[in-house]
Amino acid sequence: MSANWFNSCGRVSRRNFLSDCGMGFTGLALGSMLARDGIAKEGAWAPPNGQPHFAPKAKRVIWFFMVGGTSHLESFDPKPALNKYAGLTIGESPHGDAVLKSKFYRKNVRDFAGVPRNLMPKLYPLQIGFKQHGQSGIAVSDWWPHLSRHIDDLAVVRSMWTTDNDHAAQLQFHTGRHIFDGFHPSIGAWAHYALGSLNDNLPQFITMGAPPRDCCGGVGAHGGSYLGPEHAGIPMSTNPANPLPFGTPGASVTREERAGQLDLLRELNGLAGVEYPNDAAMRARIKAYELAARMQLAVPEVMKLDGESEATKKLYGMEQAATKRVGQQALIARRLVERGVRFVQIYDGGWDAHSKLKANHSSHIKGVDQPIAGLLEDLKQRGLLDETLVVWGTEFGRTPGAERSDGRDHHPYGFSAWLAGGGIKGGIAHGATDELGFHAAENRHYVTDLHATVLHQLGLDSHQLEVPGHKRLEIDFGQPIREIMA
Amino acid sequence: MKATWLYIGTLLIPLATDAADYLRDIKPVLKARCYACHGALKQKAGLRLDTAANIRKGAKGGAIVTPGKPADSELLYRLTTKDLEERMPPEGAPLKASEVAAIKEWIAAGAPLPEGETAEADPRAHWAFQVPKKMPLPGDAGNPIDVLLADKRAARGLKTQPEAERTILIRRLYLDLIGLPPTRAQLADKRPWNEIVDALLKNPQHGERWGRHWMDVWRYTDWYGLGAQLRNSQKHIWHWRDWIVESLNEDKGYDQMILEMLAADELAPEDPKALRATGFLARNYYLFNRTTWLDATIEHTGKAFIGLTLNCAKCHDHKYDPITHVDYYRFRAIFEPHQARLDPVPGVIDFEKDGLPRVFDNHLDIKTYLHLRGDPKNPDTNRVIQAGVPAVLSSFAPKIAPVRLPISAYAPATRDYVQRDRLAVVEAAVVAAKKELDAAKKKAATAPKENPKPNPKPIPKPKPEKPATAFEVKDDFSKANPKLWEVIGKGWKFQDGALHQTTATRDAERLVLRRPMPRDFELTCRYTHTGGSTYKSVTIRFDVTPDRKYANYVYTSAHAPGPKLHVAYERGGVNTYPAEGRVSQPIKIGTPYTLRFAVRNRLVNVWLNGKSQLAYTLPDRKPGGRLELSGFDATVAFDDITIRSLPTDVKLAQSKNATTRPKPANSVETLTAKLAAAEAKVVSLKAIFAAENLRHKKSHLKAASLVAAKREAEAVKAAGEYELLAAGKDAKKVKAAKTKIANAEKKLAAVAKGAGGYTPIRAAKKALETPAHKEAQYPTTYPETSTGRRLALARWIASKKNPLTARVAVNHVWLRHFGEPLVESVFDFGLRAKRPLQAELLDVLAAEFMESGWSFRHLHRLIVTSRAYRLSSTTAGADAKTLAADPNNHFYWRMNTRRMESQVVRDSLLHLAGVLDTKMGGPSVNPGDAVRRRSLYFKHSRDQQDKLLKMFNDADHLQCYRRSESIVPQQALALSNSKLAIEMSGLIAKKIEGEEFVESAFEILLGRKPDSTERQECLKTLGELEAEAKKEKKTNPAQRARRGLVHALLNHNDFVSVR
Repeated sequence: MSANWFNSCGRVSRRNFLSDCGMGFTGLALGSMLARDGIAKEGAWAPPNGQPHFAPKAKRVIWFFMVGGTSHLESFDPKPALNKYAGLTIGESPHGDAVLKSKFYRKNVRDFAGVPRNLMPKLYPLQIGFKQHGQSGIAVSDWWPHLSRHIDDLAVVRSMWTTDNDHAAQLQFHTGRHIFDGFHPSIGAWAHYALGSLNDNLPQFITMGAPPRDCCGGVGAHGGSYLGPEHAGIPMSTNPANPLPFGTPGASVTREERAGQLDLLRELNGLAGVEYPNDAAMRARIKAYELAARMQLAVPEVMKLDGESEATKKLYGMEQAATKRVGQQALIARRLVERGVRFVQIYDGGWDAHSKLKANHSSHIKGVDQPIAGLLEDLKQRGLLDETLVVWGTEFGRTPGAERSDGRDHHPYGFSAWLAGGGIKGGIAHGATDELGFHAAENRHYVTDLHATVLHQLGLDSHQLEVPGHKRLEIDFGQPIREIMA
Repeated sequence: MKATWLYIGTLLIPLATDAADYLRDIKPVLKARCYACHGALKQKAGLRLDTAANIRKGAKGGAIVTPGKPADSELLYRLTTKDLEERMPPEGAPLKASEVAAIKEWIAAGAPLPEGETAEADPRAHWAFQVPKKMPLPGDAGNPIDVLLADKRAARGLKTQPEAERTILIRRLYLDLIGLPPTRAQLADKRPWNEIVDALLKNPQHGERWGRHWMDVWRYTDWYGLGAQLRNSQKHIWHWRDWIVESLNEDKGYDQMILEMLAADELAPEDPKALRATGFLARNYYLFNRTTWLDATIEHTGKAFIGLTLNCAKCHDHKYDPITHVDYYRFRAIFEPHQARLDPVPGVIDFEKDGLPRVFDNHLDIKTYLHLRGDPKNPDTNRVIQAGVPAVLSSFAPKIAPVRLPISAYAPATRDYVQRDRLAVVEAAVVAAKKELDAAKKKAATAPKENPKPNPKPIPKPKPEKPATAFEVKDDFSKANPKLWEVIGKGWKFQDGALHQTTATRDAERLVLRRPMPRDFELTCRYTHTGGSTYKSVTIRFDVTPDRKYANYVYTSAHAPGPKLHVAYERGGVNTYPAEGRVSQPIKIGTPYTLRFAVRNRLVNVWLNGKSQLAYTLPDRKPGGRLELSGFDATVAFDDITIRSLPTDVKLAQSKNATTRPKPANSVETLTAKLAAAEAKVVSLKAIFAAENLRHKKSHLKAASLVAAKREAEAVKAAGEYELLAAGKDAKKVKAAKTKIANAEKKLAAVAKGAGGYTPIRAAKKALETPAHKEAQYPTTYPETSTGRRLALARWIASKKNPLTARVAVNHVWLRHFGEPLVESVFDFGLRAKRPLQAELLDVLAAEFMESGWSFRHLHRLIVTSRAYRLSSTTAGADAKTLAADPNNHFYWRMNTRRMESQVVRDSLLHLAGVLDTKMGGPSVNPGDAVRRRSLYFKHSRDQQDKLLKMFNDADHLQCYRRSESIVPQQALALSNSKLAIEMSGLIAKKIEGEEFVESAFEILLGRKPDSTERQECLKTLGELEAEAKKEKKTNPAQRARRGLVHALLNHNDFVSVR
């Protein structure tokens, strides 16, 4: 970029502020742009240049996260033994030793409250039936009628485990670290940091829905931590009138006034630039204002669903009260990735079924089943699924034993997640829990294996993403789950 | 190893190689993987691998290479063996096959020595480990900063830029020294530079500005936890923040600041002002894990004060620096005994309200062990680690000497103000009890004589109230009737002919009748419980006093385990649910009920759906109070209500509890007992304090303890006696009171035999060591000595012989004036930190700093009066050769442009708008748009951070030795759209007076005048904005346009930039 770049388009006519005048971005993250512009120190370590480490399978990610802990047992991991031995304690069942004498029992768990959670010993039968679906014949619970039609696109991982037995596992699921270890960059932030932008008009990492509460990691679940706030997820509401934080000045400044201000600002900054020809920060700031202005226009446009057909809206369940909210988020997620947003994270809360699991899960699953299935369908129709990785996860599963009379407690020892699209092999159930659905038993995967898999599909080697002064532990990197890759 | 490379995808595969080159192919591998243990720092097994000659020399046990014979070479065996006990390097992956192959080739080729290879230097010779010295400067050379920089520039032919414009300079200085931009008058200040500098350095806002910088470095954070449970840092840690600000404002020596932060409890145990400094340590408190807590303490004491990454030696010897694994645990042993607690502050007894967070040595004999591979579950208990500083710099370490503490330090209950404050509370209770008793006596004297003994039965017939002036209220709730009802709360809605409470809440959302109620009345209300969370109650209160601490009420509850109908009452804010007033009823959600009740004096009769349910006599009445309808944890639909005076001829059923009328809590007899109990409490507390004060005189303590025990038991007994009277017929309370008296009597008997003790006063609050602990299990006094370890550490750090301390501090100060540090790695001055380009300058400043009595004010003055500080930041018109030779300004031939820190951005907006609240110090405030205090007073913790500040790289509360300066679109959105920016723009625009609006706005916001083009552009925009506002029919279009212009200028690059 020439030292007097602004001359190439300085003194531009008014009202043209938002148009590109040859100084647009070239598909790089702002961080790497600064590096390119010499803000990063010579000879020193430099941030990623926006290029993947190897050929990517996926370009973008839609990440659904069920806040509170979805029962794997009533979703993707059927355990007939629970019905057979219902009412017996774990110890009384023939699988007692396999569970309670397992080398994993209590060993990995770091108790959030300082004391271990009680074992829920009395086996609780499955609250819903299962059927096999698709060519693969993978069983899915009857609470998921829509998603089960897509089972041949899904790779279900039934052997996830984590180490926090309380809801700060929400943070852990996204950063790979127990909350006792503090905050670390979230998976979305890593993707954003490594790859940057596919679209200059939109934020690259967007979250929708209510994030975890402060107890449980809060916005750390999409935080940038030491990568910097610029890599953190930007929370967005689905309201087209005001979707971004500080996204509009409200009624106090009119559109025309804002345009006038921005025109003036551009002129003045350009004039000041004459005095500071080598000021890379100034150039970056001018660009940031342009991006902000474009974002303000582009983001509400994404939220406006007028152009979507009724059939499409119906596909997402938007016409029904139960599925409207998530349906809208999922549809917006599609519109975002369509426009090149790298990472969309959707939170859905309320799954913490300590009691009345049946009522809780039947209604919460209903809330997400059709929207997520609709999204898969829609992505497929539009040929986007190949390059869009859809991930569904939750912080932990739920206990095989009953809590009180009709609930299940937190269960970090074994639970399920699934992936689809983006170079993932469909119709596969990978890993397994034991007969009671207690411990992840085969092909165990700590949460960062999911991260490594996502990064791998994006063409990234998590080991190559490290920032000096922030040494990562081996467990932070995870291992890509190669068995589920197409 | 010359190679031909084949590219396959992104993989590079060597196709063919010839002989390996030692310098190119082998040395870098050895350096990365082997030097840490076999180099200049350490020679494990007597082996050094840092030169080819040393490799050939071999280890203690003999040669490791046999030139020409790779197969016989121990080195290759050790690199390739499968035996993990023997394989080198012991940590991490083995060397790659290609690396081993290169070494093999080199040995095969006879292990040739390269020319002129020199060994690694002795780590003790590292530049930063030498005491900084002032290099001699020529006579009256002027500011040493300029002399030294000029020297270096001259050697490279670099030419400086001219001095910046005066107004730009003044803005730079204001933002740097007080963190607020200058006013127009201040920009026009004609005083000499020195005078402006001195005035700003003495401005108390200077302490706030630099206090925030040091809060970054020293990791200030407010507490976080779950509910009231403290998990990290300390409540009221702001006391430490105030200490920082005050210390800077009084120009306390940095050496003294270090002593106080690490060891004020040992250095000045009776000085609460100094004790605040130990917030530096208390901040690291972590409920869940002591090792995490101590690791943070060690890491950040090392990084903040001496620029050493001690944390790298937690699991093994430091890879680069001469710090051993044992050194780490020696350092840990310094801190091992310490814990955190809240000390009482004068005038406050409740630690939730205030307290002084501080540290103290609690476990004097606790042992420190080395954790094998850093695993706290795997301590090496064979060897106790002694406290000490890293051996390499220990030559000037003072001896550790235990410190005897004064009684006020280890027994906080002996402090004057603690005793005064606690006595004040019980003495106030005496005064109140007296007043109550006097009033009761007066009433008893004037009131018609009551039967002295409770009437067996029936209670005297209440005198009929004056014939009803036909009080009647009817409402069918078909629409709002504000004349009749005051509606409080948001959940109320009229629909479908009923009044709905739509939110289930425990807040006092209620309907209040606006009419005065007769004493005797009858009420009929039809309603439906429509939902709710736990209690699901519908409550009708009467006799409600204005303070709402007194009421009688009737309610129905659909609470799942025990639905019921209940008459209950509230006295002094305490609710009583008498068993006699309760009837189980299967109240259901969704079923309409008709509740009727009649009240005659104290007697209440209740009917549900026309069926008589209950008769209950209230303990007393206060007729004339309000009537209120509400839900509690419930949503309700009220269909209609009728209230009327109770006709005298309506017969009411007598209650069963009428005969068991309790002695009124306000009888003379009861209140006399109450006063006696209050007085006994004062006597008891005084006796306890007398005993506490003798803690250090063991000979007198026994006798005083017995007296205190006796007085305490007497006070308990007196309290029991009062409670017995006040309990009336409440069996539970009667039993509790009797037990209390019996226990007190037992205690008195023991005391008479010379046994027993008093309950000591818990005047301080120790932070729990683990979540499993309870505060009550900790003693109320603390050890009488402190180990003196932290004081010795502090003296070592603050010693003029310590080569690191002054350098590290000066580097931080320089960074914040120039935007770039002299040593890039601001928290690591270890071996990886290369000698900086301006090493002499750093040394001169460090030496000068120490000589000045570690005066920050002196250091700031030296820096901001230098010519280097005053240079222009532009590169326009710069000497082309200079620009080419030093584009990154390593030689300070111009000033660097910096961005305001987040706090400065916000504070500047408020200040320019004239609304900044300049109140200093005090508790941290919740972030938010409406706050007008300076940003450093915001709560800043893991769970709380101001949104706007966060956008502009607020300090990371975990570690912030240097703020990052990101530039992201969200900042643009925040400055252009936030409520704060828009509101302040309006206020700033209003403040600007006179004709020259554009001129003034430019000066105020950007610190300079506009040039003619800028002026024109602004005027043009002003005109357009005004026309627009007129078109849109906005009020005061001219002012609105001005706001628009100011707002645009706030978003100008040069507003957030310090030029």
